[in-house]
Amino acid sequence: MSGPAFSYARPADVAGALAQGARPGAAFLAGGTDLIQLWKAGLAAHAELVDISRLPLAGIDLADGELAIGALARLSDVALHPRVMAEHPLIAQAIAATASGQVRNMATVGGNLLQRTRCAYFRTQGMACNKREPGSGCGAAAGETRQAALFGASAACVATHASDLAVALTALRAELTILGPDGERRIALPDLYRLPGQTPQIDTTLAPGELIAAVQVRRAAGLAARSTYLKVRDRASFEFAVVSVAAALRLEDGAVVEARLAAGGVAPLPWRLAGAEAALIGRAPDARAFAEAAGLAVEGAQPLADNGFKVELLRRAVIRALETVGATA
Amino acid sequence: MSPGPVTRWEAGLKVTGQAVFAAETPAPGLLYAVLVEAPVGCGTVLAVDAAQARRTPGFADLISYPEAQGLKPSSVTALIREPTIHFAGQPVALVVAENLAAAQAAARAVRVEAEARPAIAALGQALDQAYTPATAGRNPAESRRGDAARALAEAHLVVRRRYETAVNNHHPMEPHAVVCCWEGDRVTVHTSTQAVFGARAAIAHAFGLPAEDARVVSRFLGGGFGCKGQLWWPWMMQAMLAARRTGRPVRLELTRAQLFTLAGRRSETVQELAVGLDADGRLTAIDHQVLAQTSTHGEYADTTAGVSRWLYACPNVTTRHRLVRTNEPQPIPMRAPGTAPGTFALESALDEAAAALGIDPVDLRVRNHGDHDQEAGRPWSSKRLLECYRVGAERFGWAHRPAAGAAGDGRWRLGSGMASTFYAQHLQPSRARVRLAADASLVVQCGTQDMGNGAYTALGQMAAEALGVPMSRVTVELGDTLLPQGPISAGSQVTVSISPAVAMATAELRAILAQLAVADQASPLAGQRPEDLDFADGLVRSRTGNVAEPLADLLARQAPAGLEAEGSADLPQVQTHSFMSHGAVFVEVGVDPDLGEVRVRRVCAAFAAGRIVNPLLATSQYVGGLIGGIGMALHERTVTDLASGRILGDNFADYLIPVHADMPTFDIALVHEDDTHLPGGIKGVGMLGTAGVQAAIANAIFDAVGRRVRRLPIRIEDILGHPDPRDGFETLT
Ligand SMILES: Cc1cc2nc3c(=O)[nH]c(=O)nc-3n(C[C@H](O)[C@H](O)[C@H](O)COP(=O)(O)OP(=O)(O)OC[C@H]3O[C@@H](n4cnc5c(N)ncnc54)[C@H](O)[C@@H]3O)c2cc1C
Ligand code: SF4
Repeated sequence: MSGPAFSYARPADVAGALAQGARPGAAFLAGGTDLIQLWKAGLAAHAELVDISRLPLAGIDLADGELAIGALARLSDVALHPRVMAEHPLIAQAIAATASGQVRNMATVGGNLLQRTRCAYFRTQGMACNKREPGSGCGAAAGETRQAALFGASAACVATHASDLAVALTALRAELTILGPDGERRIALPDLYRLPGQTPQIDTTLAPGELIAAVQVRRAAGLAARSTYLKVRDRASFEFAVVSVAAALRLEDGAVVEARLAAGGVAPLPWRLAGAEAALIGRAPDARAFAEAAGLAVEGAQPLADNGFKVELLRRAVIRALETVGATA
Repeated sequence: MSPGPVTRWEAGLKVTGQAVFAAETPAPGLLYAVLVEAPVGCGTVLAVDAAQARRTPGFADLISYPEAQGLKPSSVTALIREPTIHFAGQPVALVVAENLAAAQAAARAVRVEAEARPAIAALGQALDQAYTPATAGRNPAESRRGDAARALAEAHLVVRRRYETAVNNHHPMEPHAVVCCWEGDRVTVHTSTQAVFGARAAIAHAFGLPAEDARVVSRFLGGGFGCKGQLWWPWMMQAMLAARRTGRPVRLELTRAQLFTLAGRRSETVQELAVGLDADGRLTAIDHQVLAQTSTHGEYADTTAGVSRWLYACPNVTTRHRLVRTNEPQPIPMRAPGTAPGTFALESALDEAAAALGIDPVDLRVRNHGDHDQEAGRPWSSKRLLECYRVGAERFGWAHRPAAGAAGDGRWRLGSGMASTFYAQHLQPSRARVRLAADASLVVQCGTQDMGNGAYTALGQMAAEALGVPMSRVTVELGDTLLPQGPISAGSQVTVSISPAVAMATAELRAILAQLAVADQASPLAGQRPEDLDFADGLVRSRTGNVAEPLADLLARQAPAGLEAEGSADLPQVQTHSFMSHGAVFVEVGVDPDLGEVRVRRVCAAFAAGRIVNPLLATSQYVGGLIGGIGMALHERTVTDLASGRILGDNFADYLIPVHADMPTFDIALVHEDDTHLPGGIKGVGMLGTAGVQAAIANAIFDAVGRRVRRLPIRIEDILGHPDPRDGFETLT
C-alpha cells in the first residue's frame, strides 16, 4: 500500500532546507527508511517532503578530542569509519547491531535518532493508539506488552524508543546541534526526547522545521578501551533490541573513575542509568559492585503483563556488560 | 534410471528474470485491483458506499456482495457473496483503477457501514464450545487402539504434559497474485496457485463455465508451503468479476500484511499429552488430545496427534482432535501439517522419559521402533528409520557428546538434542506427455506446478534418464491447464505421483523406438531384439551386441515429425502397505543462560525417503524444511490483538523468521531406502525436514541448561523464566 500524495522538494542548501522545512505540513526526508515505511502504512501524511539527504551535513570529523558526526552521515559510513571504530567503539558496535546492511547503507544518524516507536499498535492503522491518534486509547497497554517500557511510561503510552545508536550516544553524553528558523542551539541528547505523559503524540522537543545538523561527542576517548554495546534479541541479527545496554568504564589504580551506562528497549527514550553509574564510582570493578549497580538499574521498573522478564533481563544485561568492560587481565 | 545431482532446470530463467511470475504477466489495458477491508472483526456489512471512490481519478469499478451474486454459491464463493464479516482484515470489496496508486486511493475512499457483533478473538475464549470435527486432515479426528487410560494407570513412568504451539503463517516470498483476461465467455487466469486444475474447477463452477473455457496458468511460483490453494480463490474470483465487468484484464496482488489474514495459517495448538512407559523404556500408552483453532467460515484440523498413532510401536493409543471456532483467519495445511506441532509434543515427552529412565534418547526410540503400521494393521512399504538413527547419530557424534550441561563456549552453554520425524506418503492420479523431436530433444508436459521445489527438474530428469537424453536437451512445461492433468503441489506428492505417468510415456516411446530401430535396415541395430536395446548418452544401443546408433539419426530416418506419448497413473485400488518417510534430526544449540538467547549451531539430519531422484534438490528441500522448523521453534509467532481481532506486527520486522546469521551448519544424510511398493520407489521429501527439529531444539536446550520449554516459539523469557512447577513425573515404583 502507499499513502496519500505529497509534493517533493530537494533544496540546494541548508538555508533552503530550513526555509522549506518550516512550511506547514512539511517533513524532512533523510534516508527514508522509517518515514517511507510510515507513509506506506498510511501513518505519515505530509503535504511536502523536503529531501535533505544530499545536504553537506554528512561529515565525520575527529579533532580536539571531539567527534562530530553530521546528521546526514549514513549509519554504515559511521560504523566503518576507522577512527570511530578505534576511538568510539561503542558507537560502531551499536550501529553494527542495528537493522541490516541494506538499511544501514540508507539510514542516517539524524533519522535514526528520530525514528518512531516500533509499537505494533502505533504502526497498524485502525488500532487504538494515543501516539498516532490522540484520545483513541493505548492498545498496547491493554494488549500485547512484551515490547512495552519498564520506565518512563504513562497511562497514555507505554511505547519504547527503538534506536540503538541513541542508547550508545546517551551513554557517551552526546550533544546535538540543532538548526532552526531562529538559529542554532545545542542540547544534550536525552533532552531531544520527551516522556509521553498525556501527550504521547509528541515524541521530541524539536520545534516544527528544526533540523538536526550534527551530533557531538566530547571527552569520551578515555572510555574507548572499556566500552561495549550489548544487544539482547531473539534472533541473531536484524531485530530491534528486546533489551540493550551501553556500558563504558574508565579505571584508575584498580578503581572506577568514570562510568557510563544507558539502556534501550526499556523506556520511551534511551534510558540513562544514572544511579548505577554513580554507584560504581570509586569501586573496584568486581562482581559485587556490578551486582549493586545492576540492582539500582532496575529500581523503579514498572512491568506490565508480558514484559516482567525484562526487569531481570536488564539486571543481567547490565552485569554482563559491566563484566565485559570491567575485566581486568 | 540413475539418480543425478542435476542443477535446477529453471535456475537460469529465474536469475536472468526470464521466468515470468503471475503478477508480471503482460496484459495490454491492465487495470489494478485493491481489496477494501472490513471495518470490524465480526459482524455484517450493511452498505458499501462507493460514491466518493467513484469520483477518484482513474476509478474503474467496484465489486462487492451485490456484484458477486451471479456466482454460484459454494464454500469458495461464500466470502465474496455473503456480507458476513468473519475476521478482522476480511475484504468486503475490491476496487479496480487505472493504476495501483489510483486503486489504493479509491479503496481508501470507499465507506463501509457494518454492524459489529462481539467476536471470539482467541481459542481460549470459547473452550466450552470445542467440538470434534469429522476429520483431522485426511484422517479420522479420533482414534483408539487398546486401552490407554488403563495402561497409563499401570505404567512404570508417566510423562503428562501440555504443549503449546503458536500460529504461524506461510509467507512464500511471492505473494498471491492474479492477472486475468476474458475473451467473451472464455477466461485466461494467470495466478500463483499450487493447483491449476483445482483452480480451474472452482472457476468453472463459480462462473458456470465449461471447464475448457477457463485456462489457469501458473508457470512459476515463488513458494507456496500450502497457502496457494482455495483460500486465495475468492479474491482471485473477485478480480475476475471485475475483469469481466470492465472488459479489461485485471491484476490483483496480495500485500505482505494480507498474507497474515487471507492466505491461511498453521493453527495454534494446545496439546495434552500423556505417555506411559515400562521400566525398560517401552511405550505402553499414549493419550494425545489436541485443541486447535478454526475459523467461523471454514473448518480445518491438522492431524497433529497422528504422530502418536504412527511413529512408534505402542499397544494402547488414544488420540483426539478438537477445534474451537474463532473470528480469526482460517487455518490450512502449512508445510509439515500436523507433524510439526505433533512431533514437538511427543518427541519432547520422550526426551523427558529418556532422562527420567536414564536411557539414551536414541536408544529409547530404537526400543520403540514400530515394525509395522499398528494403526492400520498394515506393513510399511519401507522404513529405514533405524538406519536414520544410526547414520544421524554417527555423523553428529552423538555418542561422544558432552554430558548434559557440561559444554560451553564463551557465554554459551552447549547442548545436544534429537528427535524423529516422519511424513505419510500419499499419491495422486497424474498424466504426463513426452514429446521427442527429430533432433532428439525432449519436451515433457504436465499440468502440475513448480513451487520452487524442483518439480521442473525432477520431471525433466525422469524423462531424460528414461530416454538417455541429456538434461540440456530437455524442455519442461508445467503449470497450465492446457497440459495433461497433473497433481496438486501439496503433501510431498508430486514427484512420486508423476513418476508412473512419465515412466509409462517414456516406456511407450522406448518401445516404439526399439521397434523402429530393429526393423530399419539402415540402422546398425537392425535385427537386434527390441528388448535388448538400451537408451543412454543420446544413443540407442544393444545390451548384447556391441552396436549403437545416435537417437537423433534413428529419429531423422524413422520419425522426422517426432514422436509423442502420454502416460497416466491412477491410484491403486487396494492399499496393501502403509507409506511413510522418516528421519532423525540431531541438533546442537548454544544457550546463554543469563540472557536467554538461543542459537542453533549445528543440525545433522538423516532422512529415509525412498529413491532420491536428485540429491541436490532433496538436500535443498531438507535444509529449507529445517530452516522453517527452526523458525517455528524459535521465532515465528503470529499475534492477534484480542481487543480488535487484528494481527499485530503484520510485517517482517515484527514477524520474525530466521535470518542468515541464525543459520547453523547443516549436514544432511540421504539414507538409502528401496521401496518396491511405491511408483519408482519414490517418496516425498518436502515435508519431512520441517518436523522433528522443533523438539530436537527444545531437547537440546534442556541438555544445555536444564530447562524444559513446552511452548513454541521458545523465546528469551522462556529461558529466563521460573522452572515450570509441573516439572515432575508420575512414577510407579
Ligand atoms: C527492517 C528495519 C529494521 C530496523 N532495525 C533497527 C535496529 O535494530 N536498531 C535501530 O536503531 N534502528 C533500526 N531500524 C530503524 C532505522 O535505523 C531507521 O529507520 C533509520 O535510522 C532512519 O534513518 P533515515 O535516514 O532513513 O530516516 P528517515 O526515514 O528519512 O527519517 C526519519 C524521521 O526523522 C526525520 N529526520 C531525518 N533526518 C532529520 C534531520 N537531520 N533533522 C530533523 N529531522 C530529521 C524525518 O523527518 C522523519 O520524521 C530498522 C529499520 C528497518 C526498516
Ligand atoms: S504504547 Fe504508545 S504507541 Fe503504543 S499503542 Fe499505546 S499509545 Fe500507541
